[in-house]
Amino acid sequence: MRLHVIFRYDGLILLLNGAFLTISACISMFGSDSALFPLAYAAIISLLFGIFPLIFIPATYDISNKEGLVIVISSWLLSCLIGMLPYILWGGDFTVTNAWFESVSGYTTTGSTILQNVEALPRGLLFWRASTHWIGGMGIIVFVLAVLPNMGMAGMMLYRSEVSHHTMDKFRFKTKRAAQILISVYFGLTLLETIILAFSGMSVFDAITHSFATIATGGFSTKNASIAYYNSAVIDWVIIVFMVISGIHFGLLYAVFTKSIRRILQSSVVKYYLLALLIGVIVTTISNYGTQYSSWLTSLRFSAFQVISVGTSTGFATADTNPWPSLTHILIIFFTLQCACAGSTSGGIKTDRIILFWKTVVKKVRQFLHPKAIIPVSIDKSNIDPNVLELSVLYISIYLMVVFITTILLTAMGVDSTTAFTGSAATMGNVGPGLGLVGTVHNFSQIPAAGKWLLTLNMFLGRLEIFSVIIFLSPETWQKLR
Amino acid sequence: MGLRLKILSGFLVLSLMLIVAGIWSIYHFHFIGESVQKLIDNNYQSITATNTMINALEREDSAVLLLLLGKWENGRSLLEKADSVFNQGFRLAEKNQTLAEEADLINNIKSNYQQYKKLWQLPIVGTSKENNLDWYFDGIHQAFLDTKASVNDLNLLHENELYRTSIELRNRANRATMPGIVAIITALIFTLMFSYLINYFMVNPIIRVINGITLFLKTGEPFNVRVRTKDEISKLVSSVQYLCSNKSEKPDK
Repeated sequence: MRLHVIFRYDGLILLLNGAFLTISACISMFGSDSALFPLAYAAIISLLFGIFPLIFIPATYDISNKEGLVIVISSWLLSCLIGMLPYILWGGDFTVTNAWFESVSGYTTTGSTILQNVEALPRGLLFWRASTHWIGGMGIIVFVLAVLPNMGMAGMMLYRSEVSHHTMDKFRFKTKRAAQILISVYFGLTLLETIILAFSGMSVFDAITHSFATIATGGFSTKNASIAYYNSAVIDWVIIVFMVISGIHFGLLYAVFTKSIRRILQSSVVKYYLLALLIGVIVTTISNYGTQYSSWLTSLRFSAFQVISVGTSTGFATADTNPWPSLTHILIIFFTLQCACAGSTSGGIKTDRIILFWKTVVKKVRQFLHPKAIIPVSIDKSNIDPNVLELSVLYISIYLMVVFITTILLTAMGVDSTTAFTGSAATMGNVGPGLGLVGTVHNFSQIPAAGKWLLTLNMFLGRLEIFSVIIFLSPETWQKLR
Repeated sequence: MGLRLKILSGFLVLSLMLIVAGIWSIYHFHFIGESVQKLIDNNYQSITATNTMINALEREDSAVLLLLLGKWENGRSLLEKADSVFNQGFRLAEKNQTLAEEADLINNIKSNYQQYKKLWQLPIVGTSKENNLDWYFDGIHQAFLDTKASVNDLNLLHENELYRTSIELRNRANRATMPGIVAIITALIFTLMFSYLINYFMVNPIIRVINGITLFLKTGEPFNVRVRTKDEISKLVSSVQYLCSNKSEKPDK
């Protein structure tokens, strides 16, 4: 593995972060707030570290699988490191642990926060916080691939390392074109939501930051009470619609604009995703009616928002879910584990894998009944490779195992079991809030420092889909380093 | 880009990171120095003044008790001294008004003290007030408590401000030291990366050139070193290649 090749590509990622840091610093400068230097200094460091390898290292397009993987993982780590700089330099509640937690939570679009008073942050820093969601939502590498000139094999290698198998499956385009499609949909949705939110009564700044967080399925708000601050049914429903859209594969969304809406409705993954959300909303609305809310419409509004917020791994809040009935808690936990479609910005196990899991179960049952039969598994008329089925089941097993191990470790640190389980599931699924002390109206400030580090590891594992982290950490990857 | 420019850019990056952090730390430390001075000037002096006033008030209260017991000389002398100390403290507080809410509190102290003073200025010894505990508790002691409470309000205001500024100072200190720490760590990482790149793109090719020349001279094996950068080293390699090929073509020379 060639270290200098990794330096060069990581440099490009740092330039991207540097650009967003510069925009945030400009916002800080125009608002004359206290975050100007922290943002400007972080931007300088990011840009210098980004430009220098480009000056020194000649362009390389022949990169190996391992190098591609290391570039992707190291770019996430570096982004999170650079992302924590403005927080550390600004001070306040941001210790090293808290700054790292906030940065990782931002980039991985988890949206969990350690801040007890978000509104105390200067505007520049709030914009940076939202930007980390937006950069991380699409995947750092995808951004770079879409913007840079054709990188040939190197681009393909990076794309394959960054984007999960399930995501790629829906694309029949070249790497650069696929990245450009993803970015176009991403940018278009963000712009559209910003305009609608601004017309719905939000300030332009809040509309931009909340759109960043919605389309990236992040969940960072600029208000302590999250979306509940606005107390507006219009804003709630606008965000609900965009959360649902952001949970659908971006390739399919692109197809809606270029071909027809039928493609989305024909997709069994999308059908399952929408049906699951619908059932979740109906059951939660019924459970909450009479016990929490006196009118059906109010119950529908708050239930739909919370179920969809968790079911798309966004994590915004309009209500405290802690006092809700137990049945709704179980549903929230289910959606925290499942989340939305592959190829979207959401986290969790993903609906694609849930479908594959059930198809594998059905296949195995049929196999028991007809041992000699060859039983293919297919989704939308295309056969699924048995290896993909095996990997999906394995992924779900490892995923749940990580959640349980984290729960045990958090409990050992003195965290109560509800908080520990839902907190670990929410960070692993990049959802944000859980239940108990990390509920929708609470934050992660009460979690011990070691617990916060553990949860950031969960966020990474969830965002990078476990296997790539395992390969990254295996000694074999680091052999023949030069 | 040439080697000189590449090396220079490395050092420039390093210096820029350190210089910016240094300037920012200096700015914050300067601000901290100013804030500490302000803290002393604005709040600490007023707190001292309020403490002086409270001490003086308590001595006046003791003096009133002496007068009640009929000790005219001791009582009056103590009252005069305490009054002078109180006025000293009051003048200091009045002169050192730095907060918006302070003026009202100072006026409050002034009017309360005037009422209190009016009560103890009138004769006590040899009048019906002597040994009259009801007069003490219902009249003069109540006025003493009111005055003390108004002085305490001023004290509290400055103590709160002191606390607020101390927190601000703590944040400033953090903002002053953090860039330094960040600069040291990033400079260290950058140095390691810079050294790796110099080693990989400059030192290693030179070693390969030396080995290539040695091999050519010892065994006559053609000089075949490839470098990917377009700088002085690539020119050196082409020159050596040219030299070696010339030498191979004319071995007698």
